Amino acid sequence: MTDVVRPEGVAREVIRSPERRVPAVPNSPAADDLYEQDEYARTLLRSLIRAQLAVTLSVLIPAAALLCLYPLLAVLFPALGRATVAGVPLTLLVLGGGIYPPLVILGFWYVRRTERMEHRFVDLLESHD
Amino acid sequence: MTEPASIVAVVAVTVATVVIGARGVRVSRTPEDFLVAARRVPPTLNASAISGEYLSAASFLGIAGLAMLDGLGALWYAVGYAAGYLVLLAAVAAPLRRFGAYTIPDFAEGRLNSPILRRAGTVMVLVICGFYLLPQLKGAGLTLQEALGGSYWVGVVVLGVVVTGVISSGGMKGITFVQAFQYWLKLTAIAVPALVLLMVVHHPPLTSIEGTTTPTFHRITKVEFPDAEFVTLATPTTVRVDGVIGGVSHDGVVTLDATDYRVSAHSVLTFPAGSRVPTVTSGAVLTASQWESPLVRLNGKLIHPLAATYGIVLATFLGAIGLPHILVRFYTNRDGPAARKTTALVLLLLACFYVFPAMFAVLGRLDAPQLYTTGQTDSVVLVLPRLATFGPWGTLLAALTAAGAFAAFLSTSSGLMISMAGALSHDLLGQGVKAFRLSAVGAGVVATVLGLLVGGIAINVLVGWAFAIAASSFCPLLLLGIWWAGLTWQGALCGLALGGGASSAAVVATMVGAGRTGWPAVLLGEPAIWTVPLAFITMIGVSLLTRSSVPPDVTRKLLALHLPERIRLSDQVVDG
Repeated sequence: MTDVVRPEGVAREVIRSPERRVPAVPNSPAADDLYEQDEYARTLLRSLIRAQLAVTLSVLIPAAALLCLYPLLAVLFPALGRATVAGVPLTLLVLGGGIYPPLVILGFWYVRRTERMEHRFVDLLESHD
Repeated sequence: MTEPASIVAVVAVTVATVVIGARGVRVSRTPEDFLVAARRVPPTLNASAISGEYLSAASFLGIAGLAMLDGLGALWYAVGYAAGYLVLLAAVAAPLRRFGAYTIPDFAEGRLNSPILRRAGTVMVLVICGFYLLPQLKGAGLTLQEALGGSYWVGVVVLGVVVTGVISSGGMKGITFVQAFQYWLKLTAIAVPALVLLMVVHHPPLTSIEGTTTPTFHRITKVEFPDAEFVTLATPTTVRVDGVIGGVSHDGVVTLDATDYRVSAHSVLTFPAGSRVPTVTSGAVLTASQWESPLVRLNGKLIHPLAATYGIVLATFLGAIGLPHILVRFYTNRDGPAARKTTALVLLLLACFYVFPAMFAVLGRLDAPQLYTTGQTDSVVLVLPRLATFGPWGTLLAALTAAGAFAAFLSTSSGLMISMAGALSHDLLGQGVKAFRLSAVGAGVVATVLGLLVGGIAINVLVGWAFAIAASSFCPLLLLGIWWAGLTWQGALCGLALGGGASSAAVVATMVGAGRTGWPAVLLGEPAIWTVPLAFITMIGVSLLTRSSVPPDVTRKLLALHLPERIRLSDQVVDG
C-alpha cells in the first residue's frame, strides 16, 4: 500500500452515503489521516481489516466444507445415498431441511462475533486518540 | 381447464400489489427516495423484502418439479440458493453498504476509478437481469394458462404491464412494502397446502417408495394425455381406456400386456389402485433408490455426478452475491451492522421457505405419479392440491398456490426491472425520476416481447444461466474488489469479459443442443465449475501484470469498505 493521493479535478457522479460525511467524533483526527501519520494507528487499522477477513473465512470455510462433503461421501459410499432414518430417506432429511440449521447458526454466529470484534477495535482506536 | 378460484386469487394478488405499491408512492418524493427508499428500511422489513424479491418462479415451482422428476439431488438448487446468502453476509454485505455504492457498476467505478469498467458492469447487469426476467414472464404465462385455459401470451403481457406500471409509478419505497408482503404470501401459499396435504390427505407411507420399485397409483387414477405418447407397462394391467391406444379406439375396460403402447393425444387412461405407474419414452421414471440419490442428474441421467453437483453448488453458492437486483437492496440498510442483520435474517427466512418445495416433491411422487406419465412435473405445486384432495378444499388450496406463484413472478420481476431501469437511466438517459420512468417502460416493453418468444425454453435453464453468469462475473469482481488491494481495472475487465462470456457461451451451446453426454454435457450444462475459477484466475493474473494501475488511493478505499461507522474518514472517498 502506498501513500494516499487524491486525484484533483476529477468529478464523477457516484451516489454515496451522506452519513459518511458527518464526523462521529467531532474533534478526533480522521482514520485515514491517522493511517498516514501514526504507526500505531496504521497497525491497528490494518489488523482490523485482517481480523474481519479471519472472521469471514472462519464462517465460509466450514460452510463450503459442509456443502462439498455430502456429495463426496455419497460418491465414495453409495450406500449413504440409499440410507433411510426411521423410514425417511437420509437425502430428504439432509437436503430437505437438516442442512439449513448449521448454515443459519453460522450466519448469526458471524454477526455476533464480527460486531464484538469491531467494537473492540473502535474502542482501542478512540482511546489512542 | 378454467379454474375461477385460481383466477380470483391471481387477480387479488395483483390488485394487492398495485395498492400496496401505490401506498408507498405518497412517502417517496425526491429522486433519491425514489431509488433507494431513503435508506431507512429496518432490518426485519428489509429481510422480508429481499426474500420476497429473491424467491422466484424457480424457487416456487421449479425446485419441487425438478426434484420430483430428477430425484432429491435437485434439492441442491434450494440449498445453494439459501447458502449464497451466507457468502453475501460474511464477505459482501457490510463492506458494500459502508462503501456507499449502490449498484455494482457504481462499485466497479468507485473502487477502481474506471468509467470503462462501469460500462462493462452495466452491460452485465442488463444481461443477467434480462435472462432472469424471461423465465418469470414464462412462469406467469404458464400459470395463467393453467388457470384460464387460454393462451400463453396472456400471462406474459399481464405480468409485463403490471410490473412496468408499478415500477414506473411507485418507485422503490412502494416496492419494499410490496416485496415484504410477497414473502409472507409466498411462504403461506406453499406451507399451508404442503402441511394440509401432508397431514390431512391419506397417502402411502414413505417406505412404499423404497428399493428398486417405481411408483404405484395408490388409488384409482385418471391420466389424461395432452400429447401422443409411447407408454411402457411394467406388468399386465387392466385399465379403462377412453380414446385411442395402439391404433385401436376404445371406450371401456381393456387388459394391457407388459409392453409398449402408443397412446394418442387427448386419450384418457384410468388405472386401478395398486397398479404400477407406466414409463414414457419422453422421460424415464426413476426407481426409488435412484430417486433418493443426493447427486444431481443432467438430462435425467447421472453423468459425472460429483462434478455436476459441484457445478450447481458453486453457481448457486457464489451466484447470489452477483445478482444486481438483490445487491441494490443493501443500500436501503442504515449502516454496515444493519446490512449484516438483514442478511442473516434473509438466510433464516429462505431456510424456512425451502423446506416446503422438498415436501411437495415427495408428496408429488407419492400422490400424483401421473404427472410423470404426462410430463407435467413442473406444475406439481399448482396441480397437486387439486389432484390429491377432492371438492372445495382442493380448489381452495390450488388457488392459494396459484396466488403464491404469481406473487413469485411479480416480486422477482419488479426487482429485476428496477435494476435494469436504474442501470439504463443512470448510464444512458441521465438521472431523475423521468429518466427512470422512461427506462422502466422501455425495459418492460422489450422484456415482455422477448418473454413471448421463450415459451419453449425451460424455466430452470434460464435461471441457472443467470446464476452461473453472475457467479463467473460479478462474484469475483466483488470478492476481490472488497478484500484484495491489488485488483486493477484491467484485471477486473478481463475477468468480467472472459468469465461472463465463457459462461454465457457454454449455456447457449447447451440450449442449441451441443454436449448431450459425457464431459461436454457437464462442462457446458454446468459451466460454473470451470468459468468461476477462470474468472478469478484472470482477474488476479491480469492485475498482477498491470500493477502500476492499482488506484493510488487504494488504502482509503479499503478503509472506506471496512471501517465501522463510528470511525470517520477525512473526506469523500468514493469519488475523486
